Parts: sequence; structure tokens; C-alpha cells
Amino acid sequence: MKERWRKNLVYLGLVAAIALLATTLPPETYGARKQELRIAFDAGDTMGFDPHKQAPPDMDAFVNATIYRGLVRFKPGDTHPDKIEPDMAESWDVSKDRLVWTFKIRKGIQWHKGFGEFTAQDAEYSLRRSMDPTKCFAARNYEAVKEVKTLDRYTLQINLKQPVPSLLGLLTNYHGGMMVCSRALEKYDKDYPLNPIGTGPFMFESYEPQQKTVLARHDQYFRGKPILEKIVVRYMTDLTTREFAIQKGDVDVTQGLREQQWVEKMSPYKDITVDVFGPGEMVSIFLNQSKKPLDDVRVRRAISHAINKDELMKMIGKDVTSPLKSVIPANYLGGIEKGLPEYDFNIEKAKKLLAEAGYPKGIDLEMVNTEMMVYWRPMEVIQEHLRKAGINLKINPVVHSAFHSLIRKDVNPIVMYICARFPVADIYLTQFFHSRSTIGTPTAVTNFSHYTSIDNLLDEARVSSRPDEQKRMWQEAQRKILEDAVAYPLYISKFVYGRKNYVDYGYKLDSTLIYAPEVFENTRLLD
Amino acid sequence: MVQYVLRRIFLTPITLFAVFTIVFLVMRVAPGDPATVILGSFASEEALQAVRRTMGLDKPLYLQYVESLSGLLRGDLGRSMITNASVAYQIRKALPYTLDLMVAGTFFSLLFGIPFGILTALKRNQFWDYFGRSVSLAGLSTPSFLLGLLGLWALSIKIPLFPSLGGGEIGNLLSRVHHLFLPSLTLGLIQASFISRMTRSSLLNILQEDYIRTARAKGLNKRIVILRHAFRNCLIPIVTLVGLYVGILIADSVLIEVVFNRPGIGKLMVGSVKNRDYIMVQSIMTVYAAMVVFINLITDLTYGFFDPRVKYR
Repeated sequence: MKERWRKNLVYLGLVAAIALLATTLPPETYGARKQELRIAFDAGDTMGFDPHKQAPPDMDAFVNATIYRGLVRFKPGDTHPDKIEPDMAESWDVSKDRLVWTFKIRKGIQWHKGFGEFTAQDAEYSLRRSMDPTKCFAARNYEAVKEVKTLDRYTLQINLKQPVPSLLGLLTNYHGGMMVCSRALEKYDKDYPLNPIGTGPFMFESYEPQQKTVLARHDQYFRGKPILEKIVVRYMTDLTTREFAIQKGDVDVTQGLREQQWVEKMSPYKDITVDVFGPGEMVSIFLNQSKKPLDDVRVRRAISHAINKDELMKMIGKDVTSPLKSVIPANYLGGIEKGLPEYDFNIEKAKKLLAEAGYPKGIDLEMVNTEMMVYWRPMEVIQEHLRKAGINLKINPVVHSAFHSLIRKDVNPIVMYICARFPVADIYLTQFFHSRSTIGTPTAVTNFSHYTSIDNLLDEARVSSRPDEQKRMWQEAQRKILEDAVAYPLYISKFVYGRKNYVDYGYKLDSTLIYAPEVFENTRLLD
Repeated sequence: MVQYVLRRIFLTPITLFAVFTIVFLVMRVAPGDPATVILGSFASEEALQAVRRTMGLDKPLYLQYVESLSGLLRGDLGRSMITNASVAYQIRKALPYTLDLMVAGTFFSLLFGIPFGILTALKRNQFWDYFGRSVSLAGLSTPSFLLGLLGLWALSIKIPLFPSLGGGEIGNLLSRVHHLFLPSLTLGLIQASFISRMTRSSLLNILQEDYIRTARAKGLNKRIVILRHAFRNCLIPIVTLVGLYVGILIADSVLIEVVFNRPGIGKLMVGSVKNRDYIMVQSIMTVYAAMVVFINLITDLTYGFFDPRVKYR
């Protein structure tokens, strides 16, 4: 019997030894820097790479921006619409009435994987798709386009029904402006979202569900062969795990947390730089004037006075927030810096206004808010501020997908919304403050306030052919919004990404519309 | 026995049908739908209606139900409403990783749990018993993600023995095992706490029995008595526990999959619920229910192997 025991123990020992040996494999080493960029995002999986089908979340916007190009592009790292420059179109002419735009397309641009040359016909097909509300979520933006015509192989003409504040913006590689290949859509059909074809510096190589997407260099990219050979996009929902990964060197760039505490947490790591960049998202609350007691402007003004913006920004962090005086940032086209009604932080004033409106004992409100941290944190702070002024706000947490559905059913007196839009005043103001966009109507967008008082200003400004008149009207609209207190702008929440020092994006990362660092043909990893 | 198995197999579709129906209804009652998820903060009423039409969500509920059900009956698991990727493809890709985790996790749980259970039973009310029970209490109370993160920090960051992310390449066995070790160890250690307690209490019960006293009185070696006679009899509760646990494990492993960034059916399920991806949730839940039913059947069948007195009628 003892023999059997000893033999069994020996076997067990052998198995354990082999198991241990098998597991002490050396970790993968990257010797002289391989030009492969590995970036980790806070996401469970991709939603597919059809740029028109849905509004891409960060990780997909990042991939789309490397795969697809537009006729024009923003200056790298800068989102100001005035700095838009040629991309696939090398030049364009505009008629005097700003209604006819003729674009000359560069010769020799190649689609990925042998799908041929990019021509004006391809551009026409793609734009028509963007204008189709059954194919493109941003079709509304192209309402003013009357017709898209191919004049010859390299010339495209766009005819507008009326002038548009920024047609060029609609043609950058952002949302509807991303150019897709008709032949690829035909070939892949339903499978297209995981087989995207574009003209950008990188092409889709492979995808492993829930793990990663790999992009490979597009050698025939028209601006030159990219330096990076591969980009690996990893889906990692756990923040701690992403931190471990970048500390260990398993990824080169990681999405961080949009709070000061994360910036400070990463500061001891001398080989990691934290990039905080814009344009950020506007964090604002919208006051629903169709719900009592917010139908009284004094109550809405009281709410505005009760909020301590400075303290709020300090809590989220001074490095990751910027002040927001109006509902759109001052550097949007049509933005305004000075001359706005201001609501100083003043609890006494708030209480007085409430009393005047007939609520000397304060008011009770109830709202739903998403548990997503970027939304939850500031709303918690605001709840405390309001409590001091006698406004008791009950907040019910819901999942993010439920949140977006519920607020569109008009359940909230106050709605916190965080987003960015294309940096032209018209878009944000129309979506959030034009009566046509009122929640609960067939043409609803995001007018949670049920505001109706600036329709004329917006409609006139949109079709005006005089930029200075446009700006004046947009600024007047913003003043009215604050006067009527139908919304209260809080701050701008910037984007936060950690990167290893050896990652050189190739430009100054001030601002990108994809919520993530943009990668170009000259992005590289230093030794 | 064959009759028993056949009967069990015939009853399975009823369970699956019930699961499918409940999931279908519950998903549609919850606020939010795939159209809202796709459009996110850009959702406008027009866009929502257009997307819903493309997805077929504007059809009457009973029609959607019949379409999905008939698809499933044909063996077509459908396509994700978000990415259009085939659900069968996603499950096929995630399943090996989940199975790996299940098998390895159960292996570690038995490896640590049974010896510990036997030890604490034999040394009852002595030092090793108190020590063992405290350790198992700690194991029960520790959240899996915490243990996972600690393991990750210790054996992947501080001492770079193991990779910190991914599931490894399915084709490469070494890579698979390498990526599997930490997550399955984490899962196994926690599960071991349950197994050791169950083993202990089972064994203690059996050691009271008359036939054990008889065997010792006969002069049989203590080790043989315990391992051959006593232990065999306490296997049934352990097997039951393992069978039940394997069923829950797929859902329980989500946190481990998130921490270690492993693909898996659990994470796939949670992700699709969050995304309100109706078709994915329906199909995955039905497949999952089938797996659980199958595992329970196997568990029941093994009783006969351990206890010859069990008959299947």
C-alpha cells in the first residue's frame, strides 16, 4: 500500500512540475521598437465599422478615422472649422450664392484591398448613402443638399437648396462625410460592418470578438506609406486592468478616467504621459419648462443660482475640465465669450426667487440619471448644492441604454446631457433648443426644455449668406437661452488618455472630434 | 437507464421554450432598445424610427416572436442587431475560452477543495480544522474580481510570470494554458471553499456510520477506510455541487473575464443585455439553458456510477 502511495505522489509531483514549467514561459518581449501601436479602450466589444449605420462610440470612432477619409479634413489636432483643409479633394470652387460647390478629386487614390481607384462616382454614391435616413443616422445634417452630381471621373458637384453654415464640415471624415466603397458594400452586404473598406492609412485586418481588432498598414495610402505597420485595438472594460496593461507595457495607449484623480494616479509613472485634450464634451443640465414648477422662470433661475460651478469643477478636477459660460463653447463657430447673462452662485438669491414664485418651503423634484460615471459624479454634487437651497432632488440611477430611452419619453424635469457636436453653433442649438426638436414630437431630437423662443433666430441664421450676421444671431440666441434659464451650462469635460512616452502621434494633440487620439501616417513609436 | 435518458431529453425542449419566451418578453419590457443603443446621444425621433424599421422592431410583437422562434427551431441563431455578426459565430468564438475556464476552474477547485475538506474533517476541532475553515470562509467572502486583481498584480505585474490580458490563441495550446492559469486559479480557489466545506460535512456524517466502525474494528488500515469506503460515499453531494456550480459558473465568470480581459459566453451575455441586443440575448440564453440542462443530466447520470444502489426508472 505504501508503494502505491509513493508512486501516486511521484506522478502528482511530475504533473505539478510539468504544469509549473509550462507556465513559466517568458513574457513576450518587444526588442527594438516594433512599429505596432496597441491601444486599449473602455469597451466590451465593437459595434461594427459601418460609419453611417450608427453614431460610433469612442473605440469605433478611432478605428473609423484610420480606415476612412473624406473629401476634406480638419487640421490634425485642431477642430476649428475655419482650419479645414483639402484631403481626398485637392481643391474646390464655390458659386457666388454659395449654393454650388465643385470639388476636384486627387488622382490615384486607392481603396483598400484592391477595390480600385477612388473616383467622383464613388464620392457621389457615398454621399447619397449619407443622405439616406434608412442608411445613415446623420442624414438630417444633409437636408439642405439638393443634388450630388458626378461631372467627370475626378469632379464632383454638390448643389444646395439653401446655404449651409459649414458644408465643408459635413465632408470631413466625421460621421456622414466618411467615404465608403459601393463595391465593398455590394460584396459583403450584411457582413460589411466587420469587413470595412476605405481609403485611409490603415485597413481592417482581423477581429476577435470581445478581444481586439487589428488594423494593417495601407501601403498605397495617398499621403505616403504609413510608418506604423499595425494597430491593435483592445477592448478592456476594467480600468484597473487597463492601468496594469500600460504599466506592464502590454499596451502603448490607454483610455483613462475623465477625472483629476486619474491624472494624479498616473503621475508617479515616469514613462507614461497623460494627454488631456479637447474639444471635450459639454456638460449641461436642461430644465424642462413643461413640467411644473419649472414652468416658472424664477424657479429655473433659482436652480441656476444654487449651483456652485467652481466647486463642481474643482471636484471633477482642474486639469480635466474647462469653464463653460454658454451652452456651446466659445471656440465653436458662432460661440460667444462675453456679454452673457450670468447666474452667480448665491443660495440666498435662489431661496428668494423660489419664495417669489410661491415656493417658500422649497420644491421636490425627481429624475432619472445614467449610472455612467461621467454623468453620475456631477449630478451627485449638484444634488447637494440644490438641497442647500431647499430643492430636494431625488435621482434614480438607470443603465445608460435605458437612460437615453427614458429621457426621450419626457420623464425628467431636469436632464443632464453630455455630448459634443460638430463645432458649428447651428447644430447644437437646433438639436437642443428649436421647437421642431421638442421631445415627444415626431421630429424630436433633444429639446428637453420644450423651448420655443429662438426658432426665428435659428432659422434665419441657418440660411443667411453673411457670416457676421449668422454669428450675431447665434450669439443672440445663446443670450436668450440663458436669460430664460432653460438650460444651465456647467463645464467642459475633456478627454483623458495615458500613453507611453515613446508614442509620437506626429502632431500636437489639442483637439480631435473622435474623442480619442487620432493616428495618421506619420504616427510612430520612438526607440 | 436508456428510458430515463430519453425521457429527460424529451422534456428539455419545454424548458428551452419557456426560457426563450420569458427572455423575449422581459427584454422588451425593459426600457431601451437596440435602436437607442446604436444612436446613443445622437438619437432623434426620426432616426430612431428609421433604425427600428430596418431592424424589424416596428412589426407587431407576436410576429417578432414567431419569427425569432421559427428561426431558432431551424437552428438559425440569427445575427446581432448591433454588429450584424452571426450569433453562432460569436458563440463559437467565445465557447472554447469558457469551456477552458470551466474545466480548469473545476480542476483547481477539486484539487484544493477535496484534500482540504478531508483534512479538516479528520482533524476535527483541532488546529487544522480551525485554520482550514477560516481559510475557506475567507475564500467564500472574497469577491472574485478582487482576488483576480490581486493575482494579476502579484503574478503578472510584480513578477511577470503570466500575461495580463487576453485569452491566448485558441490554436496554440501553450498560449491557451498560459492565459488560463491565473483566471482559473482565481475561480478555482473560491470554488474550493465551497467544495471543502461540503466535503468536510459530508465526510463527518459518514464517519459516524456503523459500517465505518465495523471496518476499523475489522482491523482495516485507517487510510483505506477513509479513502475507499468513506470518501466514495460523500462523492454524490460533491458531484451535485460541482454540477450546479458549473451551471452558474458561466454567469459567475463574467467578473473574471472582465478583469482578465478574456472572451467568454458570460461576458457576451452581459454585453448583449446592456446593448439591448434582443436577438443575441434570446439566442445565447437559449443555448445557455440547453448547456445547463445537459450538464445537469450528466450529473444525474454519474450518481449511478458512484452509488450502485441508484436505479434509473
